[in-house]
Amino acid sequence: MSLEEPQDSDQDQPAVEGRSLGDELADLLGDHVLSREEHLNAPGFVIRPDEVQDVLFKLRDEAGFDHLSCVTAEERSNRYESIYHLKKYDDPTQEASVVVPTDKDNPVSQSAEPVYRTADWHEREAYDLVGINYEGHPDMRRILLPETWKGHPLSRDYEQDRPQVVPLREHANPLEDDHSGDGGDTMFLNIGPHHPATHGVLHLKTTLDGEQVADVESDIGYLHRCEEQMCQQSTYRHQIMPYPDRWDYISAGLLNEWAYARAAEDLADIEVPEYAQIIRTMGAELCRIAAHMLAVGTFALDVYGDFTAIFMYAIRDREKTQNILEDLTGQRLMFNYFRLGGVVWDLPEPRAEFFEKIRDFLDDLPEALEEYHDLISANEILQIRTVGTGVLPEDVAKSYGATGPVARGSGIDYDLRRDDPYGYYDKLDWDVAVEDGCDNYSRLLVRLREVEESAKIIEQCVDLLEDWPEEDRTIQSNVPRTLKPEDDTEVYRAVEGAKGELGIYIRSDGTDKPGRFKIRSPCFSNLQTLPEMSQGEYVPDLIASLGSLDIVLGEVDR
Amino acid sequence: MGTLLLQSQTQTPLVDTIAGLLGLDGLLGAVVGGLLGAFLIANVMLVTTAVAGPWAKRKITASFTDRIAVNRIGPFGLLIIVADAVRLMSKELIVPDGVDRPAWDLAPIILPFSALMGFAVIPMGSGVHLADPEAGLVYAFAVASIASLGLVMAGYSSNNKYSLLGGLRSVAQNIAYEIPLIVTAASVVIFTGSLQMSEIVAVQAEPLVTVAGITIPQWFAFVNPFAFVLFLAANLAEVGRNPFDTPEAPTEIVGGYQTEYSSIYFVLFYLGEFIHIFLGGALIATLFLGGPAGPGPEALGFVWFTIKIWAVFLFTQWCRSAVPRVRIDQLIDIGWKGMLVLSFANLVLTAIIVGVIV
Amino acid sequence: MIGILKGMATTLKHAMDGQTFTVEYPDVAPEVSPRFRGVHKFSQERCIWCRQCENVCPNDTIQIVQDDQRNGEQYNLHIGQCIYCRLCEEVCPVDAILLTQNFEFTADTKNEFVYNKEQLKNVPWYKDIDPLNSRNPDRGAWIGEGEGEVDYQ
Repeated sequence: MSLEEPQDSDQDQPAVEGRSLGDELADLLGDHVLSREEHLNAPGFVIRPDEVQDVLFKLRDEAGFDHLSCVTAEERSNRYESIYHLKKYDDPTQEASVVVPTDKDNPVSQSAEPVYRTADWHEREAYDLVGINYEGHPDMRRILLPETWKGHPLSRDYEQDRPQVVPLREHANPLEDDHSGDGGDTMFLNIGPHHPATHGVLHLKTTLDGEQVADVESDIGYLHRCEEQMCQQSTYRHQIMPYPDRWDYISAGLLNEWAYARAAEDLADIEVPEYAQIIRTMGAELCRIAAHMLAVGTFALDVYGDFTAIFMYAIRDREKTQNILEDLTGQRLMFNYFRLGGVVWDLPEPRAEFFEKIRDFLDDLPEALEEYHDLISANEILQIRTVGTGVLPEDVAKSYGATGPVARGSGIDYDLRRDDPYGYYDKLDWDVAVEDGCDNYSRLLVRLREVEESAKIIEQCVDLLEDWPEEDRTIQSNVPRTLKPEDDTEVYRAVEGAKGELGIYIRSDGTDKPGRFKIRSPCFSNLQTLPEMSQGEYVPDLIASLGSLDIVLGEVDR
Repeated sequence: MGTLLLQSQTQTPLVDTIAGLLGLDGLLGAVVGGLLGAFLIANVMLVTTAVAGPWAKRKITASFTDRIAVNRIGPFGLLIIVADAVRLMSKELIVPDGVDRPAWDLAPIILPFSALMGFAVIPMGSGVHLADPEAGLVYAFAVASIASLGLVMAGYSSNNKYSLLGGLRSVAQNIAYEIPLIVTAASVVIFTGSLQMSEIVAVQAEPLVTVAGITIPQWFAFVNPFAFVLFLAANLAEVGRNPFDTPEAPTEIVGGYQTEYSSIYFVLFYLGEFIHIFLGGALIATLFLGGPAGPGPEALGFVWFTIKIWAVFLFTQWCRSAVPRVRIDQLIDIGWKGMLVLSFANLVLTAIIVGVIV
Repeated sequence: MIGILKGMATTLKHAMDGQTFTVEYPDVAPEVSPRFRGVHKFSQERCIWCRQCENVCPNDTIQIVQDDQRNGEQYNLHIGQCIYCRLCEEVCPVDAILLTQNFEFTADTKNEFVYNKEQLKNVPWYKDIDPLNSRNPDRGAWIGEGEGEVDYQ
């Protein structure tokens, strides 16, 4: 298809020669398009709220946009707006935004759920926080806030200070309807919110048939901290950057910071010096190793049961990366190391010592990984536990917008570091780890292999940094103290976080704070696949599948 | 226990010794000696458990996971045992709503009780042997199996779905693994021709081969290693340790049958589990490792016996560090389709060998 | 079966080599990187009461009270609420506020975590690491040269 021409996504929609992607798509959509918008990352098409499914079906089936990355909802001065950020799994640089304005008095829009299953949760979130109703949605309920919540916190007329009074009658017995299975052959079981294996405060409403899972429904929102709103009240230049560390707080901080940095740098048109990019790449990969170590360790914990050796070994190796990161950034988890236009500090002095430390870690890593393979992946019992359980077929994974190791464990060759290059990744030599087993075991293997690849990247970065000429060590470009991007500029940018595609949508409103700040959390989309993976399986496999998804509730609930 | 001792007319050294020390004889001597002996052995096992539970287990796990573990209270952190005992006993005993009261209270008592009863017939060496009935082996298995009853009671009466799942799992597991366990033990009985524990130990004392002046005794672990491994594995399942700890499975069903127990009831459960592991170890030592036999004078028998049961305990902890838990359906599969078949094959084979060769 | 044995051999190897990774914390002070960001230290002598730190703080941790002459009266910092992002140190033109390596602080109630300028001044250095030295190389990118000797004690 002619749509698959390579296109430079870093620029504002180049309509240089021939026809741009936007024009092509406009032709395809024809009368559906009411007007066009230009987002920094993609052409935007404004469509009628009752034609959402037609348009999205066309874009998915005829133009190949098979990845609904994110749904951003927002209340503007005169309308409600839902933006569907579409991408292609084959080439994520090809993006399109479908903007659906809805009436202020009666914000009803057609649901995209029949087209992309992932829209289910995204639209529920939009309903919950902004207050847009989606017609044809199978399950239009609140998702993050409790059912009894009054008002929609991100809508304009929401009173922040009004206490949420929940009458006892509504609150008396939150588990009342949990006896739905009584009398039948099934048993209702609450797994969580306080359960040893839910990796945080996740509540799984499971219906069991014997020991087999007949149905499972995730109840999230226990760790909702209004991260989007906090970012909307902070300045671009300084105040937002500490917060990304706290989304995925399992030491994936730099990866998260990069998501914000990438979006904001595109928004404000900030250049990042090459030297800083290398430091960023190195730091981010260290974070990825730390995050994957914990993922592997806790997954082993879920399968092995008791407090096992593997968990401690993984934590020990994670600790080593954290020591390096502490030397580099000054903190072990909440790094706050990136700044718009670079990083805050150069490498610690003496540099040789720092490089030595990293190299020591990298030298020990193969041996440690060998140990993991001995302990985990080569273990027959683990294999019978994980091979063929928690199966997530490729097409289902795509429909749910799964990304990161979850997608790569299902045979989807999708890694933004390679497919939508940023930082220094495209100049380094590394591979994307893909396994096509689609099961828990594949996801485990992908993580272990990704640690190896990250180590490769770090090694190359260290080589580069060691030889970098001293006079050329610019860690930050010149960025004004106060950033005020042009009014009404919109950008959606994603990076490959530890758990998958971590996207940030920012709309500027002419002030030094974002008008709308939306986080596309990879865990949020990945967690949605849990019912698909675990229906018909045993409870232990449900737990293992949950562990293999590697969710962080801080990022799911934001 | 006294009545049981009276029925068995065999020699019971510990009871006689105590009776002799007190200058009693006849019925009174047997009763008093029996009671005191039982008291003594029960306390020995409780002390062993107290060392194993709060202290040894932590230290062992820590060394497998590159940590230090308790080292602050007392030498090697040993006083943590006291601290833990005080801590656990001073906790509030929470009785959840809707528990099935007598059953819920009985369950934690049954569990350690059943395991302690088993030690009555174990010859621990150095004359520490409470009773030696002719059907000693059967008795040991019979009382050990009462534990399943306790687990089911706990699971069912707790009014908690996790407990129920745990109780169901434990009963399924116990049935699936008790049969291979006993059938494997039966192969030992074929060798010895007796169910009496002292007889089983005595047979193993005979030499198997003599290599370069060192006499290897006829321990059944050497005679029939296959049965030994089988028994070891089945025993892991029987005492509910990794990879067969599905009835507890903290990450799946948050502790199973013991979910709702706190304070002293929890201690009793914990105690029961550990004594059970040691009873399993005692059975392994008696059936396969020559009981209290070992180099040195006979008086060291108790030491050797203790070393052997601790070795089995260490083995369970070692498995815990590196072997994943199997799923409950896989566990039942392995039990019925694997272990049972293998144990019967072992039995038939042993029978043939014993019948043809001996 | 071989995989299981391999796994068990691996853990046994770790058990036998006797190495531990634990830091015996209260007895042995842990290594802390010179860049580590801990409890703040504040110097009233250096402070010019420009209120930049108060403005940049992402979650309103710093409270500055001035009299009508714009002379500083109070400098309060809630170290329990602080997220240790170090932005206050970053924007400070005179190095009046610094994040020490000190990570140990305790209190009975959260209100006791609100430090006033005296308490902030008395925060001890950790292992005598002066963060200014370790972070100095790139401070030039951010601030002008501070005047004179820095003295927090």
